[in-house]
Amino acid sequence: MEEQREVTRYLALKVGRALFVVWAAFTLTFVLLFVLPANPADLLFDPAEINSIPPEVREQVAESYGFDKPVFLQYFNRLGHALTGDFGNSVQSGRAVTETILDALPSTLVLASGALVLALLIAFVIALVTTSTRRPWVRNLVEALPSGAVSVPVFLSGILMLQIFSFRLGWFPAFGDSGARSVVLPLITLAVPVSGPIAQLLVRSFATEFRSGYVTTSYAKGATRNGIIIRDVFRNASLPALTIAGITFGNLIAGSVITETVFARKGIGRLTQAAINTLDVPLVQGIVVLVAASFALINLIVDLIYPLLDPRLRATLAVA
Amino acid sequence: MSDLRSSIERAAPRRKAWPWAAGAVAVLLLAGGGFAITRGGGSVGAAAGGGAPVRGGTLQFALIDYQRSPDPQWGTNYAESLIGNNITDKLTWQDPKTGEITPWLAQSWEYNKELTDFTFHLRKDVTFSDGSPFNAEVVKANFDQYVRGDQKLGINPNGAALLSGYIETRTPDAYTAVVRFKKPLASFLQASSFTANAQPGFLSLSTLRLSAKERNDPRKVIGTGPFVYDSWEPQVKTVLVQRKGYTWSPPALKHQGAAYLDKVVFNTIPEASVRTGSLASGAIDATLDVGTTDEKSLADQGFTIIHRAVSGTAILFNFNSQLFPTNDIAVRKAIQLGWDREAIKKTVLTDSYSIATSILEPSVSGYADYSGSVLKYDPEKAKQLLQEAGWSEGPDGIRVKDGKKLVVKLLGISNLVVNKPAYESIQQDLKKIGIDLQLTVVPIPDYTANLAKAKTDWNVTASNRSRNDPAVLNLQYSPLLGNVTYLAKESTGVDVDEVTQTVGKLDQTLDPAARKEYAKAAQDLLIDKYALVNPVYNPSQVIAHANYVHGIVFDAQSRNHFVDAWKSNGK
Repeated sequence: MEEQREVTRYLALKVGRALFVVWAAFTLTFVLLFVLPANPADLLFDPAEINSIPPEVREQVAESYGFDKPVFLQYFNRLGHALTGDFGNSVQSGRAVTETILDALPSTLVLASGALVLALLIAFVIALVTTSTRRPWVRNLVEALPSGAVSVPVFLSGILMLQIFSFRLGWFPAFGDSGARSVVLPLITLAVPVSGPIAQLLVRSFATEFRSGYVTTSYAKGATRNGIIIRDVFRNASLPALTIAGITFGNLIAGSVITETVFARKGIGRLTQAAINTLDVPLVQGIVVLVAASFALINLIVDLIYPLLDPRLRATLAVA
Repeated sequence: MSDLRSSIERAAPRRKAWPWAAGAVAVLLLAGGGFAITRGGGSVGAAAGGGAPVRGGTLQFALIDYQRSPDPQWGTNYAESLIGNNITDKLTWQDPKTGEITPWLAQSWEYNKELTDFTFHLRKDVTFSDGSPFNAEVVKANFDQYVRGDQKLGINPNGAALLSGYIETRTPDAYTAVVRFKKPLASFLQASSFTANAQPGFLSLSTLRLSAKERNDPRKVIGTGPFVYDSWEPQVKTVLVQRKGYTWSPPALKHQGAAYLDKVVFNTIPEASVRTGSLASGAIDATLDVGTTDEKSLADQGFTIIHRAVSGTAILFNFNSQLFPTNDIAVRKAIQLGWDREAIKKTVLTDSYSIATSILEPSVSGYADYSGSVLKYDPEKAKQLLQEAGWSEGPDGIRVKDGKKLVVKLLGISNLVVNKPAYESIQQDLKKIGIDLQLTVVPIPDYTANLAKAKTDWNVTASNRSRNDPAVLNLQYSPLLGNVTYLAKESTGVDVDEVTQTVGKLDQTLDPAARKEYAKAAQDLLIDKYALVNPVYNPSQVIAHANYVHGIVFDAQSRNHFVDAWKSNGK
């Protein structure tokens, strides 16, 4: 009974924290964007023309986006609507922010989730090779790969791959969002830098696990090296990788801005860039809240499944 | 290269049959002496080379930006204006060579002496792609919404600046529209042909009833233009297909009938090297937004480079006439004289761009050349002017007067890549004569944000205005309108009323000779007498295309039209 109450408390705490993060993101973007000196509606006009636009016209435009109301009223108005998933209309297109984001989201989800799977695959292969190889030069070489992967700018690797596989060999389309073939190069481009930190972490935890007592015990019981890697080390060493899910997600989002730009793909990354470049206030706010919510959700999931995977944490939870 | 090669190879068998037929037709025509009857043969496209236009095919076109909304009247970026021009038509067509306003959807027009009422007599054979007629009622409904917006539908007053002072449109009969203004607006005639951002392209009555959200369905956005929407994929591409039965392109274009191409695909490719790479590999046929560093290499690879300077004003340094130290005419004149134009021409600009020789770009009627007089590099004279005005050389080389340093703060826009290096070159030259030009060159939103404090914070605001009419001088410089040099009582040594009246005259007549005279007087005043502006360079729109592409038109606002474009391979 006591344990169940503790679990409920733990859940409530974590969920509450996630909700707080999303609310804070909303409020912070509101403050940042609305204290800017420019009236967002003015950005609809050619900057060379601004001075010659009659003031009443500027007021009319500001009014239709609600920018003319007192700041507090605007805040609660927007917060109320945001709770129902309505972030207003994009200033630049008149399109609903939610619709604009939902239109771009699937493309980014395909790219990011594909890149994540590929990145994990690359990281595990690197970790496995460094752990299982008996040749020091192979280990050294492979161990150097993750730092290399992190330091290659997405921009450069993307352009290089386009030059070779698209412009020269013609294997993949250079731009656009047409079918599975168009996602291959962006996927690799995004996966490589994301795989770096995961691989570094895995290499280290694989090595630590290998020195653990239970490995020696397993050996003593007659288990083979590969058997140990797959049955024991693999599972235990994977846990730390989960803790950097937030960082990985951040890297995926940051990488997708550049990947989507280089490959002219539809997506949240490019939408963010365009929204910021044109100071499309409602759109920027919608995207920031979406990203913050995703961050919070991922960390929440990690927090929730961690105790399930690690019995020691469950024990602590019960005691506390 | 594989895509390009295969498409040409595939085209080969079909083309084999043509020399015979073409030869036979040519002989017949020559024998009949009938040059004039070659279908479309006299068009701009054919004149541009490549023989008789071929019908059919898809043009894969690339550009940097994407269409945010399919509504052409809304459009706030270049991509939108380009697409708008191909799905809608305007009342008039401005000849890109002469600047003359010529018929389009309006066959003829007249105006009252005060230039407040403009009467347009419309073509009677024009229809929208949904079959509904184009008439005076449509003109009225469009202009009303374009100027006033519609808050219920979420439509902005997109045309309020262009049609400033609009009262109403009267419809005395089905094909006569009288557009009325509160005060004289000579530049309205040019505005009726306007093809740049937020353009007055005509939409069907059914489209005007749609909300901003509903206009996101491109198939519901109905125009009278040579193309209609096929699809719109935000961030990726817009596909237009040929409008069947289109027969009303501007007579001045000499294009007859429907567009030659079946389809035009506007691909958004943000990255410059991907645009050029895609062109070189044959994935696209043509690209806009060619960078200055890519022009030569593309030309060397055999691609055709076409360009047109952006009509309106040059990229200008507009001086703040109220703020120290640009409230001193000696400082303003010294800046005009203090920078080496040749250096910028050689190191920053390509052949597609030019050094500004007036406020107006040379294609604007009334343009006058000041390169031999005021706008030339003369550092000695600049130094002398400053010395005479009491600016003596300070310990660090920067001049000082009454203990205050000669620091000039400039606010500029970074979106054109040429801007920053050009301004930096000027900065270096001015340092040599003792002026510290401090640059803040930022993206448009930051520029707009800073503009709110321009009167008190910035000595120079650097930008251009794209409007192919000499009255752009009135729009920008009149203290009653744009007032970009912040003229007021505090502006020492400037007769503010003289400026107001001189530039104001440009919107009070449409007589070409008088307008030329007024334009000259206005330029004399702004550039020479009061030195309120330092023109820098004329920006250009540059396209690179494959040699099998013909007939891409640059209009008077340097926007492109594809009604006359065709591909010799017909693919």
